[in-house]
Amino acid sequence: MEAVLLRARGLPESRTIATYLAAGGYEGLKKALTMAPDAVTKEVLDSELRGRGGAGFPTGRKWSFVPKDHPGPRYLICNADESEPGTFKDREIIEHDPHQVVEGTAIASYAIRANTAYIYIRGEFVRWTRILEEAIEEARKGGFLGKNILGSGFDLDVWVHRGAGAYICGEETALLESLEGKRGFPRLKPPFPAVVGAFGKPTVVNNVETLACVPHIMTRGAPWFASIGRPRNTGPKLFCVSGHVNRPGVYELPLGVTFREIIEEHAGGIRGGRKLKAYFPGGTSAPIMTAAEVDVQADFDACAQAGTMLGSGGIIVLDETVDMVEVCANVAHFYAHESCGQCTPCREGADWCMDILDRMVEGHGRPADPETLLRICRFSSNGMTICPLGDAYALPISSIVNKFREEFDRRIETGSPLPQKKLPVLPWTGPRPGFGV
Amino acid sequence: MPKLTIDGRTVEVAAGTNLIEAARTAGIEIPYFCYHPYLRVVGQCRICMVEIEGQPRLAVACATPAAEGMVVRSESSERAKEAREAVMEFLLANHPLDCPVCDQAGECLLQDHSMEEQRATFTTGMSETRRTFPGYERRLIGPHVIQNQNRCIHCSRCIRFTQEISETSALTYKSRGNSTFIDTFDGKPFQDPMSACAADVCPVGALTVREFRFRKRAWKLKSTPSVCPGCSIGCNIFVQHHERVVYRFSPRENSAINATWLCDHGRFLAESLNQQTYLSPQRRVAGQPASASWAEALRALADELRGTRSLRVVASANLSNEELYLARELFGRHLKGEIVVPVFPGEPRRMKNGKGEWRTSTDAHPNSLGARRLGLATVDGEGLARLLGRAADLTVILDPAAHPYLAGDEALQLLRAGTLIAFARSQHPVADVARWLLPTPSLASNEGTFTSSPGVVQRFAPAFAQPGAVHRTATGAMSPACPTIASPWGPPGEARALWIVLTALARELGVATLDLASPADVFALMVRTEESFAGLEWEALGGRGQQESYRERQHVG
Repeated sequence: MEAVLLRARGLPESRTIATYLAAGGYEGLKKALTMAPDAVTKEVLDSELRGRGGAGFPTGRKWSFVPKDHPGPRYLICNADESEPGTFKDREIIEHDPHQVVEGTAIASYAIRANTAYIYIRGEFVRWTRILEEAIEEARKGGFLGKNILGSGFDLDVWVHRGAGAYICGEETALLESLEGKRGFPRLKPPFPAVVGAFGKPTVVNNVETLACVPHIMTRGAPWFASIGRPRNTGPKLFCVSGHVNRPGVYELPLGVTFREIIEEHAGGIRGGRKLKAYFPGGTSAPIMTAAEVDVQADFDACAQAGTMLGSGGIIVLDETVDMVEVCANVAHFYAHESCGQCTPCREGADWCMDILDRMVEGHGRPADPETLLRICRFSSNGMTICPLGDAYALPISSIVNKFREEFDRRIETGSPLPQKKLPVLPWTGPRPGFGV
Repeated sequence: MPKLTIDGRTVEVAAGTNLIEAARTAGIEIPYFCYHPYLRVVGQCRICMVEIEGQPRLAVACATPAAEGMVVRSESSERAKEAREAVMEFLLANHPLDCPVCDQAGECLLQDHSMEEQRATFTTGMSETRRTFPGYERRLIGPHVIQNQNRCIHCSRCIRFTQEISETSALTYKSRGNSTFIDTFDGKPFQDPMSACAADVCPVGALTVREFRFRKRAWKLKSTPSVCPGCSIGCNIFVQHHERVVYRFSPRENSAINATWLCDHGRFLAESLNQQTYLSPQRRVAGQPASASWAEALRALADELRGTRSLRVVASANLSNEELYLARELFGRHLKGEIVVPVFPGEPRRMKNGKGEWRTSTDAHPNSLGARRLGLATVDGEGLARLLGRAADLTVILDPAAHPYLAGDEALQLLRAGTLIAFARSQHPVADVARWLLPTPSLASNEGTFTSSPGVVQRFAPAFAQPGAVHRTATGAMSPACPTIASPWGPPGEARALWIVLTALARELGVATLDLASPADVFALMVRTEESFAGLEWEALGGRGQQESYRERQHVG
């Protein structure tokens, strides 16, 4: 597949507006500004673009929920709080082609008639904050942002807002609270942000990758976009492959490729000729998949059908040397640390799971522990919590316990890790990642 | 007006009512911790899970408005009960379960629900080390509130209270996840004019009131509906008492005046109700007190009143409407005396009602509006000095606390000139210059009505009849006077409410119209004769909550 979102990767000076304009940049915005806002929304709806942040909600529908007759201001927010473990696609887009995000933000703002847009970026992304700010400045100078954009009468200001380093602020309502200067607690829904969002006004929150798709939909048309992938799962998608593979990295592939193809062909297979044991298909929040389930198609519907989710597209590959009890403990540690502490099941449950798994790893597991874990997870997911973080910790843990139950029982019985654990840790042989500031 | 079915019972509720309130209308209790009718709904505790027909997931009742035709299952849903049991397990996993030494026991929502939700085999199943907050187990965070973070269930009621009601935002969450804890903002002392309400709304023993802690177990307390005497706003309260000792005031729900709040100033007046220095009528001969019976005293008083040529009466804006009326009729109309009501400004107070509107008062008395509506002349300190400066045979002081001027040397000098009859409860210098000193009880042993500054006539009920002396230790805390008798109260005294004395005097003086048997009868007479009371009904007074039991109040506070 031709590169769409990552077409600028590798080009010299890829971040500059000159490079972007040479590749047909801001044509999408120009076209959108000649159309009615609703027609822009219609175009995105027709493209069947689904949110790339994890939930896969149709973007055009999200835009259409904004009340048409709302008199006051409304906001568009670009969610760049990329913190899902194993996910580094938004960073890649901003690193190589930030103007895609700026243009997408401008088009989306026009579609929902917002005159202010915020890019909420993860606090740790200092470098990418600077890149975005430079891109916004360039766009403003070029007349693509600010007052009366391209003579259309449409005004838009874009601000980059840095988060303070909480995973939960990637959840859209927690993001809104954080943006408003409050503690990053997810809000109770309804009302949804499209009706009552930032500062109490209608707000649309879209992921970086989602917005980066929008300029391409505008320039090349919805049918072109819909022709990539398969029905209801259209367009290019960035897959972040990490873990025990030969070529970890970000790969742009059409939705619907199999995980086998991603892992074996694009990421070069498992390192050291070892065997695949399991993989997280979409960040650690997605239920784990075993080696036997590697032929599942990487798209929203196929993953849902297989009992997992595509999530952010952060594929974490685990080879046969991995001890699943330790994987589970690792996952639990992350969520116990990142639970906001607002509602009971997640605050108490995530920590409880972590304590049980830590004890197991130390060799003091008890026969009832797997059942306790499953029970905690069952009552932390499926609507028991305010936000999806309850599911995000409960579903992977319960899937690991269910799919690798014999490893848990073995660990409880013997108190020691798997014998394969003794295989040597492979040294890194690939290129050293560097930012080349 | 949506009509819905909850556990098979159909109810019709106002639009926008949530399922917890709708269920309560139907007589079904849905448990909750974080929900509070006067605070923002946050849906944090997750205990109020209910099953709604047609919805795949359970819903939180607090955040779900009732809708037409909704079929809700609470107790009848296995799924909902299972989920609640799980939430209880989560909450109890890290809760210290120190109920025997926790002062909240008996009025703790967690304790109540754990009794309701648990099944015979119920156990938390949590065998890991309990979460603790070293250094936060017994911490005085402000002048009145003690925090024990280990007991906190993170319902955020106290935080929302300081944000939305007292508007100080003094309390906040710190840290994250399982380590989240409540702290004062910036670590400053919890200085809030309504700080003790934060402990009121705390469903567990994480925040407790310093003044009440460990003085009485909550289930021993009896609650009598009353009105706060702290200022003219007239917040509705329960006087909570046990065996003739008042232990605390608790707010009583009245959406129009104080919702479920009470300011610290008013709340901590409770202690002062136990001051009962004078226990029987005294005749002062050359400054030396001599006890007398009420019969003797009443006879002597009647004689004094009959024989006087000039009478002046210092009434008080702390007296009830009934007492002021009786005083006006008896001393003013029948005995042709001069009667004044001294008033003085107090500290500015404010209270938020159920609609979120502030009501303010700079009036230190609970009933100055009542006095004015009864046509009594209110005077300030100077006016009082002028009155006492004029020579008179007989002076009657109905309440020495009516004005601080009465405790000054100048007033005492003036009062020595004639005969003084004083009614008093606690130590006051006028007692030394009075010929007759008559003991009156506190608000807790009186009955009547106040006209609060919004113009509402509110009734207070008597908690106990005969207040006795309360013994105290040197630190002021109540404690057994004698280690072998574990009781802080003394023998019952003979203090009589002013309305009883005034009606008895009317009988002695032969004023048949005022010889009435109860404040209700006095009130009925006022309704007939006073324009400002026309149309009122004694039984209906007091606003919502007058008849509510203590148990129901717990679910509000």
